[in-house]
Amino acid sequence: MTLDLQKRSSERPVAAARPRRRGPAAPPWWFTVPALLLFAFVVLVPSARGVYYAFTDWDGLDPAFAVIGLDNFTAMADDPDALGAIWHTLLIAVAITVIQNGIGLLLALGVNTTIKSRNVLRVLLFAPAVVTPIVTAYLWRNLLGPDGAVNSLLGVFGIEGKNWLGDPGLALWMIVLVVVWQFAGYSMVIFLAGLQSIPREIYEAAAIDGSGPVRRFFSIVRPLLAPAITINLMLSIIGGIKLFDQVYALTGGGPGHATDTISTLIYKDAFTLGEFGYSIALAVVLTAIVAVVSAGQYAVLNRNEKAAS
Amino acid sequence: MKRFLAAFAAATLLTACSSGTGSSSGSGDDQTLTIASVDQGSIEKVVDAFKAANPGVTVNLSTSGADQYQQQIRTQLSSGTAPDVMTVWPGNGNPGATYVIAKPGYLRDLSDQPWAAQLPDAFKQVAQYDGKTYNALFGLNGIGAVYNDEALTKSGLTAPGTWTDLLAFCKAAAGKGTPAFALGIQDNWVTQIALYALVATTVYSADKDFDTKMAAGQATFAGSPWTVAMAKYEEMSGAGCFQKDPLGTSYEASQTLAATGKTLGIIQGNWIIGLLKGKNPAGTFSMKALPATDDAAQFIMPAAAGAGYGVNAKAKNPDLALKFVNFVMSPEGMKTFNEAQGSLPTLSGAGTTVDPGLAELTSFVEGNKTVPFMDQLWPNAKVQQTMLSGLQEVFSNQATAADVLADMDTDYKAGA
Repeated sequence: MTLDLQKRSSERPVAAARPRRRGPAAPPWWFTVPALLLFAFVVLVPSARGVYYAFTDWDGLDPAFAVIGLDNFTAMADDPDALGAIWHTLLIAVAITVIQNGIGLLLALGVNTTIKSRNVLRVLLFAPAVVTPIVTAYLWRNLLGPDGAVNSLLGVFGIEGKNWLGDPGLALWMIVLVVVWQFAGYSMVIFLAGLQSIPREIYEAAAIDGSGPVRRFFSIVRPLLAPAITINLMLSIIGGIKLFDQVYALTGGGPGHATDTISTLIYKDAFTLGEFGYSIALAVVLTAIVAVVSAGQYAVLNRNEKAAS
Repeated sequence: MKRFLAAFAAATLLTACSSGTGSSSGSGDDQTLTIASVDQGSIEKVVDAFKAANPGVTVNLSTSGADQYQQQIRTQLSSGTAPDVMTVWPGNGNPGATYVIAKPGYLRDLSDQPWAAQLPDAFKQVAQYDGKTYNALFGLNGIGAVYNDEALTKSGLTAPGTWTDLLAFCKAAAGKGTPAFALGIQDNWVTQIALYALVATTVYSADKDFDTKMAAGQATFAGSPWTVAMAKYEEMSGAGCFQKDPLGTSYEASQTLAATGKTLGIIQGNWIIGLLKGKNPAGTFSMKALPATDDAAQFIMPAAAGAGYGVNAKAKNPDLALKFVNFVMSPEGMKTFNEAQGSLPTLSGAGTTVDPGLAELTSFVEGNKTVPFMDQLWPNAKVQQTMLSGLQEVFSNQATAADVLADMDTDYKAGA
């Protein structure tokens, strides 16, 4: 970035001497001021003021509170619930990212063919994504209940049903299942847009050169799909890390703390226990994780994207 | 620079406007009262009766669920936009409880109101903070075994009267394919209900002063008959007292099981009767003490004040707020509230018509054989939350009863 700027500034005298030809002029910087101000007052300033409370023992109510430095953060290291929640969050985020995008890509390749019902299929596969997550979660909570539709269906085939949401070993994967069920269609749409921007001629040329479908996928589709992959991975990993609605509606973080994520723990600590300071400290950690993961991921994917193009 | 400042000023004005709208309602008018409540479905009737008794008064009422309410009321109190009258829970141990809100001075002292001195001692304890009354507690709720009368008759079994009978009853009921009790502990607050029913008898029949000893540091959960109650809870589970997969069953689903006779009953608070009748209008339901020993004379039922009302110390309309709270505590207001909620009155002489299924609870209350819900005198909200998630862990074999009680002791000792 800095290198880029330096290069441009060293070019400036030359550029100024030439008549402007390279596209429209950049808008003056102060055009961004109204938007930046609004952003600052609505997002930046309140967030920054909020972070302050992470270093206090505020209970959300009592105006008298003390600044306790990093105590909230050190307490986190000794709190098995917090460590468990961080682990669950990362597990859910990685599982969702891999499975949702894997299925989304397969679906996109499937409906990007010339089969007759492809438009109907596209609509059907995308449909769950337009429903509010909390609604799908409550729906699945009923389907996965001990006497729910899933167990009844298994019963028809003589398979004994499981305690899907009440078993600590299964509940977390049920959350992943529900999220993937809902959003695989969403990933599919983004992949599909990417696939449709790949010109037919390239496939034809490759086919004439004698490459099979697998070779065509890895040598043509994957590199040209790089932007779609970047955006899909970013969206799903950030969404996975921040996951709240589905967890809260499906299991409430239970049984015990077996499915608590950082977000559900933030909610419980703040609003059930009145430990606002600690809960805000958790939120700061969540923000840091999102920032680090997405920056790292963006850097890697962006490099791949550039290498591919 | 000037232009920049103008934009800055405009932006601050904008934020000032948006934060100002919440507080402007109801000010400058001494006939408008604002109320925030969790008593959806019953407070409306009380407000209507209050308006009928006080012509010309406008009431701005907002109701919400307990979770959302606790979150909202704390924000409103700390930013000075709270309503005149608000739901406040008795005692301590939850974010909307009397001790928690009275301590920073957000509630008006109601000690000089006519009903404050008449409250029975068990309620004074949880309506007061530091010797002053802050909470108008109007209703009483109890916990016991609620039987579906029709299902019980059909099964040919009778409600058990001793602990030994209870286990035999559970086995017999399970053998007939209709388990004794529905248990919906996917919603974690439900886990505590049956435990409280057991603790009331096992802990408090021998030691009425257990809470005082806990507060003084002379007793612990892990070193008390709480261990007996926990063991009995697990024994009930092992004897097939509950339907399969309680951890996958929600509170809502458990109501359906009990209401439709798929189980013979449910261990719950008296509020469940109205909900069961909602799902099965033809059904009749009766509440009995849950036997926790073989000596019926020792039985104690958990019975405690439900959420009451407090007055904002900075109420915009204090006179009207006091008038409303006193109306709630008057025979007319209390009767209206209790009958809509299915609760019992906290003051005698309210003339409330009680559901016939609650006869045993009423006789326990009158015979002074009740103990408040255990959490109401705990020093912080964490003890209860540790118990709730701990019980889920016991049911899913992630923890033992001893682990949970030890964790509760740690949180109890951490204090306020």
